[in-house]
Amino acid sequence: MVEELLIRNGVVYDPINGVNGEKKDICIRDGKVVEEVRNPKVIDAEGRVVMPGGVDIHAHIAGGKVNAGRLFRPEDGRKGREAKTKVCRAQSGYSVPNTFATGYRYAKMGYTFVMEAAMPPLAARHTHEEMVDIPILDNAAMPLIDNNWMTMDYVKSGDTDLLAAYIAWMVKATKGYGVKVVNPGGTEAWAWAKNCDLNDAVPYFDVTPAEIVKSLAVANEKFEMPHSIHVHGNMLGHPGNYKVTTSTYDLVKGITPYRDRPTMHATHTQFHSYGGTTWRDFESKAGAIADYVNKNEHVSIDLGSVILGDTTTMTADGPMEYSLYQITGRKWTNHDVELETGSGITPFLYSGKVSVHTIQWAIGQELALLIKDPWKLALTTDHPNAGPFIGYPIIISMLMSKRRRDESAADMHKVIYDRAELPSIDREYDLYEIAIITRGMTAKTLGLHEHGKGHLGVGADADVAIYDMSPEEHDAGKIQKAFLNTKYTIKGGEVVVKDGEVVAAPAGRTFFVTPECDSKLMEEMLVDLKAKFEHYYSVSFNNYPVQDAYVPNPYEIKAPWRS
Amino acid sequence: MVEITDVVCSLCGCVCDDIVVEVEDNKVTKVKGACAVGKSKLMGHGRIESPAIRENGELRDCSYDEAIKEAAEILAAARRPLLYGWSSTVCEADKVGIELAEEIGAVIDNTASVCHGPSVLAIQDVGLPSCTLGEVKNRADLVIYWGANPAAAHANHMKRYSYISKGYWTEEGKKNKKLIVVDVRKTATAKMADVFLQIEQGKDYLVFSALRALLYGYEDVVPEVVGGIPKKDLLETVKMMKEAKFGIIFFGMGVTHTRGRHNNIVNAIQTTRAAHTHTKFNIMPMRGHYNVAGINQVCTWETGYPFAVDLSRGYAWYNPGEQSATDLLIRRECDAALFIASDPGAHFPGESIRHLAKIPVIQIDPFPNPTTEFANVVIPTAISGIEAEGNVYRMDNIPIRLRKLVDTEYMADEEILERILEEVRAIKEKEGE
Amino acid sequence: MQTIRLKLKEEITSGNAKIPIDVDSLTPDKLFGKNEAEIKAVKVWWGNREENTGDLFDVSVEGEAGSVEEVKIVMEGDLSRVKHIGDGMKAGEIEAIGDVDMHCGAMMTGGKITVRGNADCWAGREMRGGELIIEGDAGDNLCAMYRGEMTGMTGGKVTVGGNAGECAGQYMAGGEILIKGNTSILTGLNMKGGKITIEGDAVMPGADMTGGEITVKGKVLDMMPSFRFVGTTTIEGEEYKKYIGDLAMTEKRAKGVLYVR
Repeated sequence: MVEELLIRNGVVYDPINGVNGEKKDICIRDGKVVEEVRNPKVIDAEGRVVMPGGVDIHAHIAGGKVNAGRLFRPEDGRKGREAKTKVCRAQSGYSVPNTFATGYRYAKMGYTFVMEAAMPPLAARHTHEEMVDIPILDNAAMPLIDNNWMTMDYVKSGDTDLLAAYIAWMVKATKGYGVKVVNPGGTEAWAWAKNCDLNDAVPYFDVTPAEIVKSLAVANEKFEMPHSIHVHGNMLGHPGNYKVTTSTYDLVKGITPYRDRPTMHATHTQFHSYGGTTWRDFESKAGAIADYVNKNEHVSIDLGSVILGDTTTMTADGPMEYSLYQITGRKWTNHDVELETGSGITPFLYSGKVSVHTIQWAIGQELALLIKDPWKLALTTDHPNAGPFIGYPIIISMLMSKRRRDESAADMHKVIYDRAELPSIDREYDLYEIAIITRGMTAKTLGLHEHGKGHLGVGADADVAIYDMSPEEHDAGKIQKAFLNTKYTIKGGEVVVKDGEVVAAPAGRTFFVTPECDSKLMEEMLVDLKAKFEHYYSVSFNNYPVQDAYVPNPYEIKAPWRS
Repeated sequence: MVEITDVVCSLCGCVCDDIVVEVEDNKVTKVKGACAVGKSKLMGHGRIESPAIRENGELRDCSYDEAIKEAAEILAAARRPLLYGWSSTVCEADKVGIELAEEIGAVIDNTASVCHGPSVLAIQDVGLPSCTLGEVKNRADLVIYWGANPAAAHANHMKRYSYISKGYWTEEGKKNKKLIVVDVRKTATAKMADVFLQIEQGKDYLVFSALRALLYGYEDVVPEVVGGIPKKDLLETVKMMKEAKFGIIFFGMGVTHTRGRHNNIVNAIQTTRAAHTHTKFNIMPMRGHYNVAGINQVCTWETGYPFAVDLSRGYAWYNPGEQSATDLLIRRECDAALFIASDPGAHFPGESIRHLAKIPVIQIDPFPNPTTEFANVVIPTAISGIEAEGNVYRMDNIPIRLRKLVDTEYMADEEILERILEEVRAIKEKEGE
Repeated sequence: MQTIRLKLKEEITSGNAKIPIDVDSLTPDKLFGKNEAEIKAVKVWWGNREENTGDLFDVSVEGEAGSVEEVKIVMEGDLSRVKHIGDGMKAGEIEAIGDVDMHCGAMMTGGKITVRGNADCWAGREMRGGELIIEGDAGDNLCAMYRGEMTGMTGGKVTVGGNAGECAGQYMAGGEILIKGNTSILTGLNMKGGKITIEGDAVMPGADMTGGEITVKGKVLDMMPSFRFVGTTTIEGEEYKKYIGDLAMTEKRAKGVLYVR
């Protein structure tokens, strides 16, 4: 049966196709956007804002550490309880919602794709098991490939072809999407309770984080990978780290990407834009970072913007979480993963009465307002690290309203007027720019625009968000409300949210990349890899790769070797 | 004859995945690399042969259809049903179980509540600094077993992962390592130890606090003997902890089930945190059933909580001690119960068994056990890891896929539960009309 | 004054299974202004189904109330499976005649509850204010936090006529608890504020405390090995040893005070 849908007279913001607030009909057939329809069901979007489904470039929504966060925070679980309905499963949690709530709440905000930002390869099955249980959203996950012993061995030997073969094997074995880097070298050092700065030698491995980042970027570009390397750099959360941040960006300057995109995506940049030398003279260096991004084309960023309130921080950056736990004295979970990575988790409260948190809060927004070209940045909260994803509408309303920012700043620690730039910035985002940083840029940076995501051109997936607001709306409160609960969310041509309620919860698809590598090179690499399994891994080589059963709704993207 | 390599053992939380099995005429005929208990499980033994329903005190064989229908009717009618077990089956089945619990407003609990539930409660108080077993294998130079006796309960644990294993920085195996054992009696594991601390029953909490005080440098306040252990031995232990490059505490039911229960584990974790101010230190529970970690994982991502989850109001309310299976049964709260892949008949206190005798009980299991003797509906299943595949989580939360080795006529857990769920929905729809 | 009598019907707890009833919807503030018929129609959870109060309880209302403070609820019958009595209550009074089930007075912010019998676990959990009197024994986790939280009772007053179970006052941050009998292990665990007085004996009191005050008038069994003796002091004419702790939380955080006779 042919399913047709017509979204009539909406005001459409579709940046990838250059559509900026045009009154336009969207025709849908069999889950795709088409030229015209014959006998459609009609949704009247007259006077309302219409955008492609949101694409989140970086969030922690599934896998071992997210679940460790849920498990050790029953007090967070009881915050978000909602009983099951005919359509929805029972919901729980605020900063670490259960998988069902994750799907429903994103869909209500008009999002239809989320990238799980960190998948420990050895536990990849876990990430996939949870993603299958997240309704509605299409998804993908990035395996961690930077602290791996194999990676460091090849960085040391300088053999980027073998490193590329290892990447190819790993991305395929984990059914992952690309190369994720988290505190390169530092997480391995953390297995001995140590950490690494950008140019420190990793204990026992005789390589530096800088060398790891550069080699991975080179190896990544040997394939037609849809996404660049995705980097959480060294010294996250340390005062004065902005210099490490720009030095990290410099590492990949001059490496040619396979297509028109940056060679590095630098994630949750708020946490990496700190001045000062201690927490006492801590200050914003968003200006310096924005300046770098404005002058260069090889780096894209996402914000990691702070939402005030309680949250659960979690990252593969084990030493960072330990430092945070030492500040708060709250509970702390750590889980180091053999030969590959680690993770830490601790709850955290961002308070507008605390000077450091106030500056952090300002930095995320400053980055968005000081970087001139919105195609270079994405809206994130590094969910749930700087705050839960459910806070995105707050950030949208801040970026769109100088008045709202001023009102908020007035309630916060007065340090905001001395050590942050935010109060002096007048820029306000328009809806087109919001659409760029929540779908256009993110889809393009991930290479998903070529696979139907993040736009509404003919042939695109029929993922549409219809917000219950007029394009002329300037009231920040109303903007926030509209972006929290859509009038309609349509996923693959099916209405999944209507008037802020989930009305259907179909399964999402998992996107994964298969890098294609010369078989001789692969064989050579496998000799080294099998030796690692033989002697050091605690699972066997043949039980390691993620079986097809874990990805029941696959979408494969092939990444050929660049000759 | 077919040889199958890299077989995953579905016995204990070690989930050894390097077993070699020979299969002939659809039967496992030889097992290499497993411990004695694991081998016995893989070789197979007595089965529940047919679905059955109890009538006039006797089990009468019936079809799967009939047993499933009967089970669904019991569950749909219940006001406070309990669904319990889940640790010796695969995650795919656990997921359906949780959906069923939601549908009928049940309490869903798993065997963690009678083994490492206290560890979970402790983690909820202070978190868990831990790692995968391969980290221990490659790095640990100090291994502490506390209230755990792997030589008897997890036979391959020391060889594959800890004291005896060889890894990158531990090429010479136990020559590179020290072993401390803390227990109330000199167990087989204790006999191998460099240091054995014989602790008085129920005094673990005090000893952990003393170690913490010493690790933080307050020797002056600690008395001469704590929990039966002389202070000089505690000081020696602390010295070893501080001098280690990588220490690990493995703890077992000897700590979780003595006086202090989950607070003993809080204190064990606090001790680990204190040691971590000096060097790398980790801690890990010695999980029992092969997938008890898995049901905790699935239950957490689906409901928000790892065990003892009450879905009676349509959303999850979590409070072990209130909603854990034994508490519910001793308090006579339940009016129906489903047990899967577990044997409360053998492991629950007498008071709870007496209540079970009065209410309808459904059993889903490959093997007959004391629970079969009072179950009203008995549904046999395929054995996960031998006749059915699926995901499980090792004690360090590493997911591994069980392999299917032979064919079977028995239905898998997942399918049985799906069928019950379907029937329940049909009954409810009818009632709604 | 208005008295609302709620007597649990006998048949509700006489079956094979004793299924608990949650009565957090039956507090003085929630029933204030309702007549008998309206009270009978208030929903309560009994197992996995919602029922009318009138179907589970015999309900009678005497007198009038001009404010919540004038509302008194008297609960009778077999209350041993009635949970959440006075949970979240803000004002008024509840008198429960007999032993009550878990979470009595949990999260209450004001008003008064008197239990003429024993109270099962979690009585006064996360209590913020008001008064809770338990004439008999209290179960485990009296006035403690909810699972995973780091704050238990913050205000109000609790009196237990008999003994208290494990972990009384865990993560307590304020308010007062008086226990006239003995306490089981770990009273005042993780305590950071407020005051607990135990007239009888206590086992391992004050572990991991970082603030607040515990006084044990009877014996201390298994004194924590991580407290520092700082001298003697006189309370109500009796000499007490004063300890500070818990040093297992590091000296910087060990601001708890434990008085032992």
